[in-house]
Amino acid sequence: MNGAHRLSQVPPGVQCFVGDEARRRRQIEERVLRVFEGWDYEEIIPPLFDYADVFADGALGPRTYSFVGRDGSLLALRPDFTSLLAKIAAGRLRERPAPIRLYYSGEVLRYEPPRAGSQSELFQMGLEHLGGDPLRADAEVLAVAAECLDALGVRGFLLTIGHVGVFSGLAEAAGLEGAALAAIRERVESKDAAGVAEALSRAGANGPAADSLVRLATLSGGADALGQVKRIAAPSQAAALAARDLESVVAALHEAGLGDRVALDLGEVRGLDYYTGLVFRVLAPGLGFEVGSGGRYDTLVGRFGRPLPAVGFMLGLDRLDLLLQRQGIALDQPGAEALPVTAEDVGEALKAARGLRAEGTRVRFCPDDDGGGA
Amino acid sequence: MSLTVALSKGKLLAGSAQLFRKAGLPFPEDEGRRLVVEMDGLRFLFVKDMDVPTYVEYGVADLGISGRDVLLERAYDLYQPLDLGIGKCRMAVAGPKGTVLGDRPRVATKFTRIATEHFAKKGVQAEVIYVGGSVELSPLVGLSDVIVDIVESGKTLEENDLHVLEHICDISSVLVANRAIYKLRYGVIAPLIERLRAALIT
Repeated sequence: MNGAHRLSQVPPGVQCFVGDEARRRRQIEERVLRVFEGWDYEEIIPPLFDYADVFADGALGPRTYSFVGRDGSLLALRPDFTSLLAKIAAGRLRERPAPIRLYYSGEVLRYEPPRAGSQSELFQMGLEHLGGDPLRADAEVLAVAAECLDALGVRGFLLTIGHVGVFSGLAEAAGLEGAALAAIRERVESKDAAGVAEALSRAGANGPAADSLVRLATLSGGADALGQVKRIAAPSQAAALAARDLESVVAALHEAGLGDRVALDLGEVRGLDYYTGLVFRVLAPGLGFEVGSGGRYDTLVGRFGRPLPAVGFMLGLDRLDLLLQRQGIALDQPGAEALPVTAEDVGEALKAARGLRAEGTRVRFCPDDDGGGA
Repeated sequence: MSLTVALSKGKLLAGSAQLFRKAGLPFPEDEGRRLVVEMDGLRFLFVKDMDVPTYVEYGVADLGISGRDVLLERAYDLYQPLDLGIGKCRMAVAGPKGTVLGDRPRVATKFTRIATEHFAKKGVQAEVIYVGGSVELSPLVGLSDVIVDIVESGKTLEENDLHVLEHICDISSVLVANRAIYKLRYGVIAPLIERLRAALIT
Protein backbone atom coordinates (compact mmCIF):
# COMPACT_ATOMS: atom_id res chain seq x y z
CA MET A 1 0.00 0.00 0.00
CA ASN A 2 1.62 3.24 -1.08
CA GLY A 3 -0.88 5.50 0.64
CA ALA A 4 -2.16 7.09 -2.56
CA HIS A 5 -5.70 6.04 -1.64
CA ARG A 6 -5.54 8.62 1.17
CA LEU A 7 -5.65 11.35 -1.42
CA SER A 8 -8.65 9.90 -3.25
CA GLN A 9 -10.82 8.14 -0.64
CA VAL A 10 -12.31 9.06 2.73
CA PRO A 11 -11.38 6.88 5.73
CA PRO A 12 -13.72 4.04 6.74
CA GLY A 13 -16.53 5.25 9.00
CA VAL A 14 -17.09 8.65 7.37
CA GLN A 15 -19.04 9.46 4.23
CA CYS A 16 -19.31 12.08 1.53
CA PHE A 17 -22.59 13.06 -0.14
CA VAL A 18 -22.92 14.80 -3.49
CA GLY A 19 -25.77 16.43 -5.40
CA ASP A 20 -28.99 14.42 -5.22
CA GLU A 21 -27.75 12.41 -2.22
CA ALA A 22 -27.11 15.59 -0.29
CA ARG A 23 -30.40 17.12 -1.43
CA ARG A 24 -32.34 14.09 -0.26
CA ARG A 25 -30.71 14.28 3.17
CA ARG A 26 -31.51 17.97 3.47
CA GLN A 27 -35.14 17.31 2.56
CA ILE A 28 -35.46 14.62 5.23
CA GLU A 29 -33.84 16.94 7.75
CA GLU A 30 -36.15 19.83 6.84
CA ARG A 31 -39.29 17.69 7.25
CA VAL A 32 -38.24 16.38 10.63
CA LEU A 33 -37.17 19.78 11.95
CA ARG A 34 -40.47 21.27 10.79
CA VAL A 35 -42.23 18.76 13.05
CA PHE A 36 -39.95 19.68 15.99
CA GLU A 37 -40.69 23.37 15.40
CA GLY A 38 -44.39 22.58 15.10
CA TRP A 39 -44.39 21.24 18.66
CA ASP A 40 -42.66 24.41 19.83
CA TYR A 41 -39.19 22.96 20.44
CA GLU A 42 -36.34 25.47 20.24
CA GLU A 43 -33.26 24.75 18.20
CA ILE A 44 -29.94 24.55 19.96
CA ILE A 45 -26.60 24.42 18.15
CA PRO A 46 -24.13 22.99 20.64
CA PRO A 47 -20.35 22.91 20.16
CA LEU A 48 -18.68 20.17 18.13
CA PHE A 49 -16.33 19.36 21.01
CA ASP A 50 -16.37 19.95 24.74
CA TYR A 51 -14.43 18.86 27.82
CA ALA A 52 -14.21 15.07 27.85
CA ASP A 53 -15.70 14.98 31.38
CA VAL A 54 -19.07 16.02 29.93
CA PHE A 55 -19.31 12.72 28.08
CA ALA A 56 -17.36 10.56 30.52
CA ASP A 57 -20.43 9.03 32.16
CA GLY A 58 -21.88 5.93 30.57
CA ALA A 59 -21.41 3.53 27.72
CA LEU A 60 -20.07 6.02 25.17
CA GLY A 61 -16.89 6.76 27.11
CA PRO A 62 -14.70 4.18 25.39
CA ARG A 63 -16.07 5.10 21.95
CA THR A 64 -15.27 8.80 22.23
CA TYR A 65 -12.66 10.52 20.08
CA SER A 66 -10.74 12.58 22.58
CA PHE A 67 -7.72 14.82 22.28
CA VAL A 68 -5.67 17.23 24.33
CA GLY A 69 -6.34 20.95 23.87
CA ARG A 70 -3.60 23.60 23.67
CA ASP A 71 -4.06 24.36 27.37
CA GLY A 72 -3.64 20.71 28.34
CA SER A 73 -7.31 20.00 29.03
CA LEU A 74 -8.78 16.76 27.74
CA LEU A 75 -11.40 17.44 25.06
CA ALA A 76 -13.74 15.12 23.14
CA LEU A 77 -15.68 15.31 19.89
CA ARG A 78 -19.36 15.01 20.82
CA PRO A 79 -20.39 11.32 20.81
CA ASP A 80 -24.02 12.27 21.47
CA PHE A 81 -26.11 15.37 22.02
CA THR A 82 -27.98 14.46 25.16
CA SER A 83 -25.12 15.09 27.62
CA LEU A 84 -24.34 18.40 25.92
CA LEU A 85 -27.94 19.56 26.05
CA ALA A 86 -28.21 18.51 29.69
CA LYS A 87 -25.13 20.57 30.47
CA ILE A 88 -26.50 23.60 28.65
CA ALA A 89 -29.94 23.29 30.26
CA ALA A 90 -28.32 23.15 33.70
CA GLY A 91 -25.80 25.88 32.95
CA ARG A 92 -26.55 28.56 30.43
CA LEU A 93 -30.32 28.05 30.67
CA ARG A 94 -30.42 27.61 34.45
CA GLU A 95 -32.76 30.59 34.96
CA ARG A 96 -35.18 29.26 32.37
CA PRO A 97 -38.30 27.78 34.02
CA ALA A 98 -39.15 24.16 33.22
CA PRO A 99 -40.35 22.59 31.05
CA ILE A 100 -37.64 23.37 28.51
CA ARG A 101 -38.08 21.99 25.00
CA LEU A 102 -34.94 21.80 22.86
CA TYR A 103 -34.01 20.17 19.56
CA TYR A 104 -30.79 19.61 17.65
CA SER A 105 -29.62 18.39 14.29
CA GLY A 106 -26.05 17.51 13.44
CA GLU A 107 -23.19 15.05 13.45
CA VAL A 108 -21.91 13.03 16.35
CA LEU A 109 -18.66 11.09 16.24
CA ARG A 110 -18.02 7.73 17.81
CA TYR A 111 -15.48 5.08 17.31
CA GLU A 112 -17.68 2.30 15.85
CA PRO A 113 -16.51 -1.04 14.55
CA PRO A 114 -18.08 -1.48 11.10
CA ARG A 115 -21.49 -3.19 11.34
CA ALA A 116 -25.10 -2.93 10.18
CA GLY A 117 -26.16 0.69 9.81
CA SER A 118 -23.34 2.16 11.84
CA GLN A 119 -20.71 4.73 10.95
CA SER A 120 -18.22 6.67 13.01
CA GLU A 121 -19.85 9.89 11.84
CA LEU A 122 -23.60 9.80 12.46
CA PHE A 123 -26.09 12.52 11.68
CA GLN A 124 -28.72 12.73 14.39
CA MET A 125 -31.87 14.79 14.74
CA GLY A 126 -33.47 14.75 18.13
CA LEU A 127 -35.11 16.58 20.95
CA GLU A 128 -35.08 16.75 24.72
CA HIS A 129 -37.99 17.65 26.97
CA LEU A 130 -36.63 18.77 30.32
CA GLY A 131 -38.78 19.19 33.44
CA GLY A 132 -42.56 19.17 33.55
CA ASP A 133 -44.90 16.31 34.35
CA PRO A 134 -43.06 13.10 33.38
CA LEU A 135 -45.99 11.10 32.04
CA ARG A 136 -47.27 13.95 29.89
CA ALA A 137 -43.77 14.59 28.60
CA ASP A 138 -43.30 10.90 27.74
CA ALA A 139 -46.57 10.83 25.80
CA GLU A 140 -45.72 14.10 24.01
CA VAL A 141 -42.29 12.94 22.92
CA LEU A 142 -43.67 9.65 21.56
CA ALA A 143 -46.35 11.52 19.62
CA VAL A 144 -43.70 13.83 18.12
CA ALA A 145 -41.62 10.82 17.06
CA ALA A 146 -44.67 9.28 15.36
CA GLU A 147 -45.41 12.54 13.55
CA CYS A 148 -41.85 12.70 12.19
CA LEU A 149 -42.25 9.28 10.58
CA ASP A 150 -45.68 10.22 9.25
CA ALA A 151 -44.30 13.47 7.82
CA LEU A 152 -41.79 11.42 5.83
CA GLY A 153 -44.49 9.05 4.58
CA VAL A 154 -42.94 5.99 6.27
CA ARG A 155 -45.30 3.01 6.18
CA GLY A 156 -45.93 0.48 8.92
CA PHE A 157 -43.64 1.99 11.55
CA LEU A 158 -43.78 0.89 15.15
CA LEU A 159 -42.77 2.48 18.45
CA THR A 160 -41.70 -0.33 20.76
CA ILE A 161 -41.96 0.83 24.34
CA GLY A 162 -40.46 -0.59 27.51
CA HIS A 163 -39.50 0.63 30.96
CA VAL A 164 -36.15 -0.04 32.63
CA GLY A 165 -37.92 -0.04 36.02
CA VAL A 166 -39.76 -3.28 35.34
CA PHE A 167 -36.61 -5.33 34.82
CA SER A 168 -34.57 -3.59 37.53
CA GLY A 169 -37.43 -3.85 40.06
CA LEU A 170 -37.87 -7.56 39.43
CA ALA A 171 -34.12 -8.20 39.45
CA GLU A 172 -33.86 -6.49 42.82
CA ALA A 173 -36.83 -8.41 44.22
CA ALA A 174 -35.20 -11.64 43.04
CA GLY A 175 -32.03 -10.64 44.89
CA LEU A 176 -29.83 -10.55 41.78
CA GLU A 177 -26.59 -8.62 41.56
CA GLY A 178 -23.13 -8.61 40.03
CA ALA A 179 -22.23 -11.31 37.54
CA ALA A 180 -25.53 -13.20 37.96
CA LEU A 181 -27.48 -10.02 37.15
CA ALA A 182 -25.31 -9.37 34.09
CA ALA A 183 -25.80 -12.94 32.84
CA ILE A 184 -29.58 -12.75 33.22
CA ARG A 185 -29.74 -9.31 31.61
CA GLU A 186 -27.83 -10.70 28.65
CA ARG A 187 -30.26 -13.64 28.24
CA VAL A 188 -33.30 -11.34 28.60
CA GLU A 189 -31.74 -9.15 25.91
CA SER A 190 -31.49 -12.21 23.66
CA LYS A 191 -35.18 -13.12 24.23
CA ASP A 192 -34.02 -16.54 25.35
CA ALA A 193 -36.58 -17.60 27.99
CA ALA A 194 -34.96 -20.99 28.58
CA GLY A 195 -31.58 -19.29 28.99
CA VAL A 196 -33.06 -16.86 31.55
CA ALA A 197 -34.55 -19.76 33.52
CA GLU A 198 -31.21 -21.58 33.46
CA ALA A 199 -29.25 -18.51 34.57
CA LEU A 200 -31.75 -17.88 37.37
CA SER A 201 -31.48 -21.40 38.70
CA ARG A 202 -27.69 -21.20 38.52
CA ALA A 203 -27.90 -18.01 40.60
CA GLY A 204 -30.18 -19.80 43.07
CA ALA A 205 -32.97 -17.30 42.44
CA ASN A 206 -36.55 -18.56 42.57
CA GLY A 207 -39.97 -17.30 43.58
CA PRO A 208 -42.47 -15.02 41.87
CA ALA A 209 -39.96 -12.33 40.85
CA ALA A 210 -37.73 -14.93 39.15
CA ASP A 211 -40.73 -16.45 37.36
CA SER A 212 -41.65 -12.98 36.12
CA LEU A 213 -38.16 -12.44 34.70
CA VAL A 214 -38.54 -15.58 32.57
CA ARG A 215 -41.83 -14.30 31.17
CA LEU A 216 -40.46 -10.81 30.67
CA ALA A 217 -37.95 -12.11 28.14
CA THR A 218 -40.51 -13.00 25.52
CA LEU A 219 -43.30 -10.57 26.34
CA SER A 220 -44.06 -8.49 23.29
CA GLY A 221 -47.24 -7.23 21.72
CA GLY A 222 -49.70 -4.36 21.50
CA ALA A 223 -51.81 -2.78 24.21
CA ASP A 224 -53.41 -6.20 24.74
CA ALA A 225 -50.17 -7.20 26.44
CA LEU A 226 -50.64 -4.53 29.13
CA GLY A 227 -52.60 -6.91 31.34
CA GLN A 228 -49.71 -9.34 31.21
CA VAL A 229 -47.25 -6.57 32.04
CA LYS A 230 -49.17 -5.79 35.24
CA ARG A 231 -49.19 -9.43 36.29
CA ILE A 232 -45.50 -9.83 35.50
CA ALA A 233 -44.58 -6.69 37.44
CA ALA A 234 -46.68 -7.56 40.51
CA PRO A 235 -43.92 -9.28 42.57
CA SER A 236 -41.98 -6.01 42.90
CA GLN A 237 -43.41 -2.70 44.08
CA ALA A 238 -40.95 -0.73 41.96
CA ALA A 239 -41.76 -2.82 38.89
CA ALA A 240 -45.50 -2.40 39.52
CA LEU A 241 -45.08 1.39 39.65
CA ALA A 242 -43.14 1.30 36.40
CA ALA A 243 -45.86 -0.83 34.79
CA ARG A 244 -48.49 1.67 35.92
CA ASP A 245 -46.57 4.54 34.32
CA LEU A 246 -46.20 2.55 31.14
CA GLU A 247 -49.92 1.81 31.10
CA SER A 248 -50.91 5.44 31.43
CA VAL A 249 -48.60 6.55 28.60
CA VAL A 250 -49.83 3.79 26.31
CA ALA A 251 -53.44 4.66 27.17
CA ALA A 252 -52.83 8.29 26.20
CA LEU A 253 -51.31 7.24 22.87
CA HIS A 254 -54.30 5.01 22.19
CA GLU A 255 -56.71 7.79 22.86
CA ALA A 256 -54.71 10.03 20.52
CA GLY A 257 -55.17 7.55 17.67
CA LEU A 258 -51.67 6.12 17.80
CA GLY A 259 -52.72 2.74 19.21
CA ASP A 260 -51.67 0.73 16.17
CA ARG A 261 -48.23 2.39 16.21
CA VAL A 262 -47.38 1.14 19.68
CA ALA A 263 -45.99 -2.22 20.78
CA LEU A 264 -44.72 -3.19 24.21
CA ASP A 265 -41.30 -4.69 24.68
CA LEU A 266 -40.14 -5.09 28.25
CA GLY A 267 -37.15 -7.19 27.32
CA GLU A 268 -35.30 -4.15 25.96
CA VAL A 269 -33.00 -3.61 28.92
CA ARG A 270 -29.78 -2.43 27.37
CA GLY A 271 -28.72 0.83 25.84
CA LEU A 272 -27.19 3.90 27.34
CA ASP A 273 -26.81 3.65 31.09
CA TYR A 274 -28.44 7.00 31.71
CA TYR A 275 -31.99 5.86 30.99
CA THR A 276 -34.08 5.65 34.16
CA GLY A 277 -37.65 5.11 33.00
CA LEU A 278 -39.54 4.66 29.78
CA VAL A 279 -37.42 3.63 26.80
CA PHE A 280 -38.44 3.20 23.19
CA ARG A 281 -37.22 2.37 19.72
CA VAL A 282 -38.55 3.33 16.31
CA LEU A 283 -38.79 0.44 13.83
CA ALA A 284 -40.14 0.19 10.30
CA PRO A 285 -40.44 -2.56 7.68
CA GLY A 286 -37.53 -2.55 5.26
CA LEU A 287 -34.83 -1.97 7.84
CA GLY A 288 -33.38 -4.65 10.11
CA PHE A 289 -32.38 -2.16 12.79
CA GLU A 290 -34.06 0.79 14.51
CA VAL A 291 -34.21 4.22 12.85
CA GLY A 292 -34.24 5.98 16.18
CA SER A 293 -34.55 5.55 19.91
CA GLY A 294 -35.19 7.46 23.08
CA GLY A 295 -36.12 7.36 26.69
CA ARG A 296 -36.33 9.02 30.07
CA TYR A 297 -33.19 10.04 31.95
CA ASP A 298 -34.03 11.62 35.28
CA THR A 299 -30.56 11.79 36.82
CA LEU A 300 -28.33 13.02 33.97
CA VAL A 301 -29.11 16.76 34.18
CA GLY A 302 -28.52 16.69 37.94
CA ARG A 303 -24.90 15.73 37.23
CA PHE A 304 -24.48 19.25 35.83
CA GLY A 305 -25.98 20.92 38.90
CA ARG A 306 -29.68 21.26 38.15
CA PRO A 307 -31.83 18.25 39.08
CA LEU A 308 -34.33 18.06 36.24
CA PRO A 309 -36.15 14.96 35.02
CA ALA A 310 -36.00 14.67 31.24
CA VAL A 311 -37.01 12.59 28.25
CA GLY A 312 -35.84 12.70 24.64
CA PHE A 313 -35.26 10.80 21.45
CA MET A 314 -33.25 10.95 18.28
CA LEU A 315 -33.63 9.78 14.70
CA GLY A 316 -30.63 8.78 12.59
CA LEU A 317 -30.55 10.61 9.27
CA ASP A 318 -28.49 7.91 7.56
CA ARG A 319 -30.94 5.23 8.61
CA LEU A 320 -34.00 7.30 7.66
CA ASP A 321 -32.48 7.88 4.24
CA LEU A 322 -31.89 4.14 3.79
CA LEU A 323 -35.40 3.35 5.04
CA LEU A 324 -37.05 5.74 2.57
CA GLN A 325 -35.06 4.19 -0.27
CA ARG A 326 -36.03 0.67 0.83
CA GLN A 327 -39.69 1.67 1.06
CA GLY A 328 -39.46 3.40 -2.33
CA ILE A 329 -40.44 6.79 -0.98
CA ALA A 330 -39.32 9.83 -2.95
CA LEU A 331 -39.62 13.19 -1.19
CA ASP A 332 -39.91 16.44 -3.17
CA GLN A 333 -38.84 16.56 -6.77
CA PRO A 334 -35.19 17.32 -7.41
CA GLY A 335 -34.56 21.01 -8.09
CA ALA A 336 -35.99 22.48 -11.33
CA GLU A 337 -33.85 22.26 -14.49
CA ALA A 338 -31.49 25.20 -14.72
CA LEU A 339 -32.08 27.68 -17.54
CA PRO A 340 -28.86 28.33 -19.49
CA VAL A 341 -28.24 32.07 -19.86
CA THR A 342 -26.25 32.83 -23.01
CA ALA A 343 -25.08 36.07 -24.60
CA GLU A 344 -22.06 37.42 -26.49
CA ASP A 345 -21.23 39.87 -23.77
CA VAL A 346 -20.52 38.78 -20.15
CA GLY A 347 -22.11 41.90 -18.68
CA GLU A 348 -25.24 41.48 -20.76
CA ALA A 349 -25.53 37.83 -19.81
CA LEU A 350 -25.00 38.62 -16.14
CA LYS A 351 -27.75 41.23 -16.28
CA ALA A 352 -30.17 38.74 -17.84
CA ALA A 353 -29.22 36.09 -15.29
CA ARG A 354 -29.74 38.51 -12.40
CA GLY A 355 -33.16 39.36 -13.78
CA LEU A 356 -34.14 35.69 -13.93
CA ARG A 357 -32.76 35.09 -10.42
CA ALA A 358 -34.90 37.93 -9.10
CA GLU A 359 -37.90 36.00 -10.40
CA GLY A 360 -36.62 32.90 -8.61
CA THR A 361 -35.58 30.97 -11.72
CA ARG A 362 -32.70 28.52 -11.47
CA VAL A 363 -30.05 29.61 -13.97
CA ARG A 364 -26.80 28.22 -15.29
CA PHE A 365 -24.48 31.05 -16.20
CA CYS A 366 -22.66 30.34 -19.49
CA PRO A 367 -22.21 33.64 -21.34
CA ASP A 368 -20.40 32.39 -24.46
CA ASP A 369 -22.08 28.95 -24.46
CA ASP A 370 -18.71 27.23 -24.10
CA GLY A 371 -20.30 23.85 -23.56
CA GLY A 372 -21.00 24.52 -19.91
CA GLY A 373 -24.65 24.22 -20.81
CA ALA A 374 -24.59 20.60 -22.02
CA MET B 1 -45.77 -12.57 3.40
CA SER B 2 -43.31 -15.33 3.99
CA LEU B 3 -40.37 -15.47 6.37
CA THR B 4 -36.77 -15.85 5.21
CA VAL B 5 -34.50 -18.26 7.06
CA ALA B 6 -30.70 -18.33 6.62
CA LEU B 7 -29.10 -21.77 6.91
CA SER B 8 -25.63 -23.15 6.41
CA LYS B 9 -24.99 -26.26 4.38
CA GLY B 10 -22.68 -27.67 7.00
CA LYS B 11 -23.00 -30.13 9.81
CA LEU B 12 -26.10 -28.44 11.21
CA LEU B 13 -28.26 -29.11 8.18
CA ALA B 14 -29.44 -32.64 8.95
CA GLY B 15 -30.33 -31.78 12.54
CA SER B 16 -32.14 -28.61 11.47
CA ALA B 17 -34.15 -30.55 8.89
CA GLN B 18 -35.18 -33.10 11.49
CA LEU B 19 -36.29 -30.43 13.94
CA PHE B 20 -38.23 -28.37 11.37
CA ARG B 21 -40.08 -31.44 10.10
CA LYS B 22 -40.87 -32.57 13.64
CA ALA B 23 -42.37 -29.12 14.24
CA GLY B 24 -44.50 -29.57 11.13
CA LEU B 25 -42.57 -26.88 9.27
CA PRO B 26 -41.30 -27.15 5.71
CA PHE B 27 -37.61 -27.76 5.11
CA PRO B 28 -35.93 -28.13 1.73
CA GLU B 29 -34.22 -31.28 0.54
CA ASP B 30 -30.55 -30.81 -0.28
CA GLU B 31 -30.85 -29.30 -3.73
CA GLY B 32 -27.23 -29.18 -4.72
CA ARG B 33 -26.12 -25.75 -5.78
CA ARG B 34 -29.33 -23.78 -5.35
CA LEU B 35 -28.83 -20.93 -2.92
CA VAL B 36 -32.46 -19.88 -2.52
CA VAL B 37 -35.31 -22.34 -2.04
CA GLU B 38 -38.93 -21.33 -1.47
CA MET B 39 -41.52 -23.70 -0.09
CA ASP B 40 -44.83 -23.48 1.76
CA GLY B 41 -44.48 -19.87 2.88
CA LEU B 42 -40.83 -20.05 3.93
CA ARG B 43 -37.83 -18.93 1.97
CA PHE B 44 -34.48 -20.54 2.73
CA LEU B 45 -31.10 -18.99 2.00
CA PHE B 46 -28.03 -21.22 1.97
CA VAL B 47 -24.96 -19.34 3.09
CA LYS B 48 -21.62 -20.11 4.72
CA ASP B 49 -21.89 -20.94 8.44
CA MET B 50 -19.81 -17.92 9.47
CA ASP B 51 -22.15 -15.68 7.44
CA VAL B 52 -25.56 -16.70 8.86
CA PRO B 53 -25.56 -14.03 11.62
CA THR B 54 -24.55 -11.34 9.12
CA TYR B 55 -27.54 -12.02 6.86
CA VAL B 56 -29.86 -11.90 9.85
CA GLU B 57 -28.27 -8.83 11.43
CA TYR B 58 -28.74 -6.83 8.24
CA GLY B 59 -32.34 -8.04 8.02
CA VAL B 60 -32.10 -9.71 4.61
CA ALA B 61 -33.02 -12.90 6.48
CA ASP B 62 -35.56 -12.76 9.31
CA LEU B 63 -34.30 -15.85 11.11
CA GLY B 64 -31.25 -18.07 10.97
CA ILE B 65 -29.63 -21.12 12.48
CA SER B 66 -26.11 -20.45 13.68
CA GLY B 67 -23.49 -22.18 15.76
CA ARG B 68 -22.86 -20.49 19.09
CA ASP B 69 -19.15 -20.47 18.23
CA VAL B 70 -19.83 -18.03 15.40
CA LEU B 71 -21.97 -15.81 17.65
CA LEU B 72 -19.31 -15.74 20.36
CA GLU B 73 -16.48 -15.05 17.95
CA ARG B 74 -18.06 -11.89 16.58
CA ALA B 75 -20.50 -10.03 18.82
CA TYR B 76 -23.64 -9.73 16.71
CA ASP B 77 -26.67 -7.68 17.62
CA LEU B 78 -29.29 -10.42 17.39
CA TYR B 79 -32.01 -12.11 19.37
CA GLN B 80 -31.26 -15.71 20.27
CA PRO B 81 -34.68 -16.98 21.35
CA LEU B 82 -33.96 -20.70 21.20
CA ASP B 83 -31.05 -23.05 21.78
CA LEU B 84 -31.76 -25.82 19.28
CA GLY B 85 -29.33 -28.28 20.81
CA ILE B 86 -28.14 -29.41 17.37
CA GLY B 87 -24.46 -30.02 16.67
CA LYS B 88 -23.43 -30.14 20.30
CA CYS B 89 -19.70 -29.84 20.87
CA ARG B 90 -17.33 -27.77 22.95
CA MET B 91 -14.69 -25.11 22.60
CA ALA B 92 -11.45 -26.12 24.27
CA VAL B 93 -7.75 -25.43 24.65
CA ALA B 94 -5.76 -28.41 23.39
CA GLY B 95 -2.08 -29.26 23.18
CA PRO B 96 0.47 -32.05 23.46
CA LYS B 97 0.11 -34.15 26.61
CA GLY B 98 1.70 -32.61 29.67
CA THR B 99 1.84 -29.09 28.20
CA VAL B 100 2.40 -26.51 30.90
CA LEU B 101 1.15 -23.11 29.86
CA GLY B 102 3.75 -20.49 30.55
CA ASP B 103 3.27 -16.76 31.13
CA ARG B 104 2.86 -15.96 27.47
CA PRO B 105 1.59 -19.00 25.58
CA ARG B 106 1.30 -18.93 21.83
CA VAL B 107 -2.17 -19.99 20.73
CA ALA B 108 -3.20 -20.89 17.17
CA THR B 109 -6.91 -20.67 16.40
CA LYS B 110 -9.64 -19.73 13.98
CA PHE B 111 -11.48 -18.17 16.95
CA THR B 112 -9.16 -15.34 17.92
CA ARG B 113 -11.71 -13.42 19.96
CA ILE B 114 -12.86 -16.42 21.98
CA ALA B 115 -9.23 -17.41 22.62
CA THR B 116 -8.15 -13.88 23.56
CA GLU B 117 -11.07 -13.48 25.98
CA HIS B 118 -10.53 -16.88 27.54
CA PHE B 119 -6.90 -16.19 28.38
CA ALA B 120 -7.55 -12.57 29.36
CA LYS B 121 -10.15 -13.77 31.88
CA LYS B 122 -7.50 -15.95 33.48
CA GLY B 123 -5.06 -13.05 33.52
CA VAL B 124 -2.79 -14.72 30.98
CA GLN B 125 -1.34 -12.61 28.19
CA ALA B 126 -1.54 -15.05 25.28
CA GLU B 127 -0.13 -14.45 21.83
CA VAL B 128 -3.04 -15.42 19.59
CA ILE B 129 -2.21 -16.45 16.03
CA TYR B 130 -4.97 -16.71 13.42
CA VAL B 131 -5.03 -19.82 11.24
CA GLY B 132 -7.89 -20.66 8.91
CA GLY B 133 -7.89 -24.45 9.21
CA SER B 134 -5.91 -27.60 10.07
CA VAL B 135 -5.31 -25.96 13.40
CA GLU B 136 -4.03 -29.23 14.92
CA LEU B 137 -0.88 -28.89 12.87
CA SER B 138 0.38 -25.75 14.61
CA PRO B 139 1.66 -27.24 17.90
CA LEU B 140 3.20 -30.18 16.02
CA VAL B 141 5.42 -27.96 13.91
CA GLY B 142 6.06 -25.26 16.49
CA LEU B 143 3.82 -22.49 15.18
CA SER B 144 2.13 -22.41 18.58
CA ASP B 145 2.22 -24.07 22.01
CA VAL B 146 -1.50 -24.88 22.07
CA ILE B 147 -4.65 -24.45 20.00
CA VAL B 148 -8.20 -23.25 20.71
CA ASP B 149 -10.73 -25.12 18.63
CA ILE B 150 -14.05 -26.92 18.48
CA VAL B 151 -13.88 -30.44 19.82
CA GLU B 152 -16.55 -32.90 18.72
CA SER B 153 -15.54 -36.51 19.16
CA GLY B 154 -11.95 -35.70 19.98
CA LYS B 155 -10.79 -37.99 17.21
CA THR B 156 -8.86 -35.39 15.23
CA LEU B 157 -7.03 -34.39 18.39
CA GLU B 158 -6.23 -38.00 19.19
CA GLU B 159 -4.87 -38.67 15.72
CA ASN B 160 -2.50 -35.75 16.15
CA ASP B 161 -1.50 -36.65 19.71
CA LEU B 162 -3.23 -33.65 21.21
CA HIS B 163 -5.30 -33.55 24.39
CA VAL B 164 -7.90 -31.22 25.80
CA LEU B 165 -6.17 -29.06 28.40
CA GLU B 166 -8.95 -26.62 29.31
CA HIS B 167 -12.69 -26.51 28.65
CA ILE B 168 -13.84 -23.07 27.45
CA CYS B 169 -17.56 -23.47 26.81
CA ASP B 170 -20.26 -25.73 25.39
CA ILE B 171 -21.34 -25.05 21.84
CA SER B 172 -24.57 -25.89 20.08
CA SER B 173 -26.72 -24.26 17.46
CA VAL B 174 -29.01 -21.35 18.15
CA LEU B 175 -32.06 -19.91 16.42
CA VAL B 176 -31.24 -16.25 15.77
CA ALA B 177 -33.70 -13.51 14.85
CA ASN B 178 -33.31 -9.98 13.52
CA ARG B 179 -34.10 -7.56 16.35
CA ALA B 180 -36.34 -5.21 14.39
CA ILE B 181 -38.16 -7.84 12.34
CA TYR B 182 -38.85 -9.94 15.45
CA LYS B 183 -40.99 -7.08 16.72
CA LEU B 184 -42.40 -5.84 13.42
CA ARG B 185 -43.55 -9.34 12.47
CA TYR B 186 -44.10 -10.74 15.92
CA GLY B 187 -47.45 -12.24 14.90
CA VAL B 188 -45.74 -14.52 12.35
CA ILE B 189 -42.43 -15.16 14.09
CA ALA B 190 -43.70 -15.97 17.60
CA PRO B 191 -45.87 -18.94 16.54
CA LEU B 192 -42.99 -20.37 14.48
CA ILE B 193 -40.65 -20.13 17.49
CA GLU B 194 -43.31 -21.76 19.69
CA ARG B 195 -43.64 -24.69 17.30
CA LEU B 196 -39.87 -25.22 17.31
CA ARG B 197 -39.80 -24.92 21.09
CA ALA B 198 -42.53 -27.52 21.41
CA ALA B 199 -40.70 -29.85 19.01
CA LEU B 200 -37.54 -29.54 21.11
CA ILE B 201 -39.26 -30.66 24.28
CA THR B 202 -41.09 -33.68 22.89
